[in-house]
Amino acid sequence: MSTTTEGIALRADHLGMKYGGRRGGWALRECAFALPAGRICALVGPNGAGKSTLLALAAGLMRPTEGTLTGPGRDDLAYVAQSKPLHPRLTVADTLRMGRELNPGRWDEAGALRVVEGGGFSSDTLVHHLSGGQRTRVALALALGKRAELLLLDEPMADLDPLARHQLMGLLMSDAAERGTTVVMSSHILTELEGACDHLMLLAGGRVRLDGAVDDLLAAHTLLRGPVADLAPHTVIDSRTTGRQLTALVRREGPVEGAWETTEPSLEELLLAHLRNPEGAAA
Amino acid sequence: MSALSLKGPAWVTVRQYRRTLWLALALALFALAVVAGLRIYTAQEPLPMRDGTWIPGADNHGYPKLRAIMEYVSVVTMVLPGVVAAFVAGPMVAREYESGTYQLSLTQSVSPADWLRSKVTVATGFALLAMLAVMGLFWFGRLGVREGWDYHWGQAGTYTATGVTALAQVLAAVAVGALVGQLVRRTLPAMAAAGLVMGVVTLAFNAYRWSILPLERATGSLGADGPFTPSGDHLYMDSGVLTSSGTPFDQAICWNQINAIPGIDGDPERWEKAQEQCYAEHGVTTQYLDYHPASHFWPTQLIETGIVLALAALAAFAAFRVLRARHP
Repeated sequence: MSTTTEGIALRADHLGMKYGGRRGGWALRECAFALPAGRICALVGPNGAGKSTLLALAAGLMRPTEGTLTGPGRDDLAYVAQSKPLHPRLTVADTLRMGRELNPGRWDEAGALRVVEGGGFSSDTLVHHLSGGQRTRVALALALGKRAELLLLDEPMADLDPLARHQLMGLLMSDAAERGTTVVMSSHILTELEGACDHLMLLAGGRVRLDGAVDDLLAAHTLLRGPVADLAPHTVIDSRTTGRQLTALVRREGPVEGAWETTEPSLEELLLAHLRNPEGAAA
Repeated sequence: MSALSLKGPAWVTVRQYRRTLWLALALALFALAVVAGLRIYTAQEPLPMRDGTWIPGADNHGYPKLRAIMEYVSVVTMVLPGVVAAFVAGPMVAREYESGTYQLSLTQSVSPADWLRSKVTVATGFALLAMLAVMGLFWFGRLGVREGWDYHWGQAGTYTATGVTALAQVLAAVAVGALVGQLVRRTLPAMAAAGLVMGVVTLAFNAYRWSILPLERATGSLGADGPFTPSGDHLYMDSGVLTSSGTPFDQAICWNQINAIPGIDGDPERWEKAQEQCYAEHGVTTQYLDYHPASHFWPTQLIETGIVLALAALAAFAAFRVLRARHP
């Protein structure tokens, strides 16, 4: 976790992580990717896919069992864990002061306050008394106030109401765009990713199933509707038959020829197809 | 207690536990007020001495109370290391892992070592002050009740409250807490384990500290009147009788023999004679008494302090090694 290759914010090589000693299962196995700097990366996958493990490894909280994960050091990354841990007996103001004390020379008080504003609580409220969504706000404020190169967010928006989600997502995106921050954000909420993320990584069973720029991934896939037939040489990700009608999402190998109606899938359609068939064709 | 001058992780640590710090300060002030009050109250009535013997005044209720409180205060010096270890291990370290806040603390711009060091430093500073306060309280309260009979330096409580080992114990307690908290990672079990470790250390030293230095032996002839004592302030350890060749003789042999004589129980003079006779038969000529002179107090304190400090250093080293092994 020291040097970053030019233009790459986070690089994994043969990365593996196993919990619980010798008999434990692999949470991540043989992961390899290179995330370009400045991307907003959505990290998706079913429960237990290894998303949280990957983020915690990137945050430097654990050592990988095998392989390497290269990215910014502790000073240059910010991490919001899934449970949004905060010290319950500190007030909101003290929590932000903590951010300043623990990140001397780089703390952005105004940026942090912008996130906390509109949360519906005063700064002398104890963290203990905040609601789940309010805690998320304070946790995000700490992360953004740090002015990191790499922002690692584990299910950041899960506790937020749609309005707050919209506001904070906007804040996050404009901030990241302005500063060129790389963001890796895991999420279950597919609609939240659409339009916000320009990079996608799909994890399933501890392995990377899909990884690339959203535009490239969408362009490589085609949604087909038409008569039931062999779809070779294309790779079928997901297919359904209703009567004589076939609907399939394929990764194209060359142009699609035949009596099919073809469209480019939406990000949501692409993700759903892959999530439904996590063991299907790997990227 | 002011957090104003603190910076960085130390500020965070103090801020997190300021309620505990204020509570401890309030408790210390309360204890001081009680002891000071009782001392003033006790001083109203001078202690009567009759034939060189102190007789408690029937109206002086403050004296026995103050004496009882001093007993408690001396016990606190023995218990405090366990409390410190439990607090460091549980609320300060294990809770960070249990509640997940370590994920927050260890992803800021300070290293994990700085994070743990700030906890250890704040806890050490505060625990040393607390121990000094309790020792000061003992010293202050003792001045009011040492007439009559004083607290003997060999008693476990007095020994701890008036020496330097208690300060080393506090350092060891913090280090043990930092290590156990990381190993156990759950608040209550960590508190129990760390408290237990310091409890065992305290009990072990209470049991074996007088075996560190060799005993001194006073001997006298059997004919002397009653049990003899060495001159000067001393801590009694053991006594018995020796044969003419200098080997210890088991007195029980004679006692059993004498007790078998019918009707001897109610006759001390006959008993005495029978014992003399038995001793003569077995060649017993000398009685002895093993003791520590008062001059052994400080050497024992220093050796014990050295051992405890070594333990503290070992635990602190292990605590930082565990941290580094887990968090790159």
